Amino acid sequence: MTNDDTPMTDGGTDAEARTDGGPPATVPPDDETPTWSERKEHSRGLAQLTYQYFERSRREDEDLRAESTYVERDVLGFPTWPHETLRNLAITSFFVGIMILIAALMPAHFGEPANPGSTPAIILPDWYLYWSFGLLKLNPLNPELAVLGGNIVMSNEFLGIVAHGIVFGFIGLVPFLNKGSARRPVEQPFWAAVGVTGVILAFTLAALAIQNFFPISLDLLLTLTFMLPVLGGILTYAVLKTMREGYMYDLNRRYYMLRPPK
Amino acid sequence: MSLKKQDEMDHNAWLKKQDLTVIETAFLTTLIWLDKRLRIVDYLELLETMYYRANLQMPKSHTEQYDLDNKFWYWYPLYSLGSLSIVAYLVAAVSGALLGFYYAPSTAGAAAQGDPTAAYDSLVFIMKDVQFGYMLRSIHRWSAQFMVAAVFLHMLRVYFTGSYKEPREVNWILGIVLIGLTLLFGFSGYVLPWKQLSFWAAQIGVEMALATPLVGEWAAQLLFGGFTLGQATLVRMYILHVFVLPFVVTGLIALHVGIVWVQGIAEPH
Repeated sequence: MTNDDTPMTDGGTDAEARTDGGPPATVPPDDETPTWSERKEHSRGLAQLTYQYFERSRREDEDLRAESTYVERDVLGFPTWPHETLRNLAITSFFVGIMILIAALMPAHFGEPANPGSTPAIILPDWYLYWSFGLLKLNPLNPELAVLGGNIVMSNEFLGIVAHGIVFGFIGLVPFLNKGSARRPVEQPFWAAVGVTGVILAFTLAALAIQNFFPISLDLLLTLTFMLPVLGGILTYAVLKTMREGYMYDLNRRYYMLRPPK
Repeated sequence: MSLKKQDEMDHNAWLKKQDLTVIETAFLTTLIWLDKRLRIVDYLELLETMYYRANLQMPKSHTEQYDLDNKFWYWYPLYSLGSLSIVAYLVAAVSGALLGFYYAPSTAGAAAQGDPTAAYDSLVFIMKDVQFGYMLRSIHRWSAQFMVAAVFLHMLRVYFTGSYKEPREVNWILGIVLIGLTLLFGFSGYVLPWKQLSFWAAQIGVEMALATPLVGEWAAQLLFGGFTLGQATLVRMYILHVFVLPFVVTGLIALHVGIVWVQGIAEPH
């Protein structure tokens, strides 16, 4: 009968066509995980670049650790488990109780069936979209933005959508604009002021959305919508700047000991 | 030669040699039976490792940890808002699934403009006839309100304590996406009862979409099923609310929490 090593018609042998897998094709040398530099040598192109970076990053870690003069840093981050998780479970179960209590005391409102033929006098989304609805009512601003001989650049509705983009875009950029190790509002009065401005703006925009309920003229309301947040921001900045002196001693003593500024 | 295994790992023989109570024998027999099939021992080992790594101890408050006098910023609920929004999300998911048994996403049944549609009628049915239905809808709605409120306050807490800073930028942006999706969740849910305010809120949505150049009409077709509201709008909002968003939001929440887990809670001050 045929031997395993006898060449077959396609030139191969039965030994090559073994179905039991045969000896493993690649045996990791002495049963150890290859180091990043070994993997680097065995690869090329993007993979090699990746391993090259891993090698550098590992070396950087080791160097930094060796150079560090800080014997022990007390807390790097708070463990998610069990500290945060246990406390959060306790507090959130309390809140779920409150939620169900409120659901029982204040049942959901239910209105008339939809009628495409009659527009209701007051159209409002849920409260959490008031700010968004307020952004759609910025059309009195539109002529102010006009260029090219008074032609309106974009439609009033599109202005509202652009405003949404600006709001979300700015919020997304915050971590890239505000850097450094400062964490408390007193440490960074400017960014705290920006935050307060944003919060007040959300409320004034909500007020703009339900403008029918305010017995003041639209011009005044629109002015207040943008002036109140700025005023609030300035006030916050002033207060925090004043508070800062008093806090510096404590901050230096306790806080920067844990997280030395770079 | 006997076909019976003469293995030194003959667990049954070992079991017989022991002097065990009935409960112990039953437990071990079950364990061995399952382990032979599922290799439970591997998973138990993993669990054990995780247990010891968890370094169990009673949680310390932030103030205790840092020996601080000023308690104002360490007010606990502010640090639990993320969890609260997840729990509210779970409550909304469970109550929503129960509501889904009775809800019909259909505008059929209105003889004239302004008549109740099938969707509206199914809500009336839930509120008037279904046992506990009134409470169920109330719980669903309030858990949604709680979730949105918690998510907003969570963002404020993260902002004012500077927790979004390097290396947590990615999670901040993920959080913004999650807020947007939460609002979309709320909006699509608001449309489902097909009452007057639902209809006109959706109308504003369509008008916003149509005002956008280039992609606006395409977006209106995709989300609202056309430029005028009707059956297609309701079904699309329904699918968005009960199929698309739950998967996407659950996945993103898992990613969001996973990144927090990997990076550790931002060092509280």
